[in-house]
Amino acid sequence: MAPDPDAELMLAFQGGDASAFRKLFERYARAMVAFCHHFVRNAARAEELAQDVFLKVHASRDRYRPDARFKTWLYRIASNHCLNEVRGAALRRPPEGEPAELDRLAGSAPTPEQALEGAALERAVRAVLVRLPEKQRAAFVLCRLEGLSYEEIADILGSTIPAVKSLIHRATVTAAEALQKEGLA
Amino acid sequence: VIHPLDDLSAYLDGKLDPSTRGEVEAHLAQCEACRSECQGLARALAALRTLPRPPEPSPAFARTFFQKLEAQRPWYGRLATSWWTWTAAGAVAAALAVGIHFDVLQLPRSREAELAEHLEMLEDYELVASLGSVENAEDAAVVAQLNELEGRP
Repeated sequence: MAPDPDAELMLAFQGGDASAFRKLFERYARAMVAFCHHFVRNAARAEELAQDVFLKVHASRDRYRPDARFKTWLYRIASNHCLNEVRGAALRRPPEGEPAELDRLAGSAPTPEQALEGAALERAVRAVLVRLPEKQRAAFVLCRLEGLSYEEIADILGSTIPAVKSLIHRATVTAAEALQKEGLA
Repeated sequence: VIHPLDDLSAYLDGKLDPSTRGEVEAHLAQCEACRSECQGLARALAALRTLPRPPEPSPAFARTFFQKLEAQRPWYGRLATSWWTWTAAGAVAAALAVGIHFDVLQLPRSREAELAEHLEMLEDYELVASLGSVENAEDAAVVAQLNELEGRP
């Protein structure tokens, strides 16, 4: 395995270097908020979830072993936390309708046409994510929206690479069907 | 004919080994249904790449996080590192030091004042010794000298 500078920071943090944790926080804050946003589609809630993830990282520092890449370990914690959140939200969610507080993805100022298309795409992806079984959802987010490799996703989800390949494929087929139905792909 | 539908996403992601990739490509070349399926998946992946970026963390994100982190620490941990605790501890230590210093300087003077007061008020200097103020040989020597001056035994 190639040297992992994040793992070195985590080991320094285990040794009592609080500044090492701060560096990891700064390095992954944006990625964690974005990752959590894929699950809850609400900026404020995504930030709370991301903060929870970092609190867990802080509290679990003694359990980290450098044989796992830090990024993989971090995303594993985040995936479990977000899936738990989704399960809880599914139990709390009213049976019909879409929560009003869901917000739109931020980005550079689009043209009106791009904004319309982006919003439609966003709605379609959101609807797909809600429908996907949770492990497919995690695999889809990690692969299609976060750009992680099959190997990393297998580590994060505690699955084999063939199993991950299957999860990603089924989720991608579902997404493709939905996008085609909406005329977006 | 076996249609390699389950391999199409991995094929598009470049995750198939060369042998399997060759088999899939050979099949796609002759199967229009699979080719159409593959093209549909490719269009969906292209569309997903155009999704707007998720939001950046708000300016308060880091500050709120470190406040939460601080609130979770045990009280003795917070005491150990907060600047105001050290400031307060320093102030207490300084006050104690000043108090001790004052006490050290003032205590002998108080005894002397008390002794002088009693020496003025009391005719019988032996009573001075019973006041508990004469606690050292120097004070006792003073009393003895005064007694001698007064012609007392």
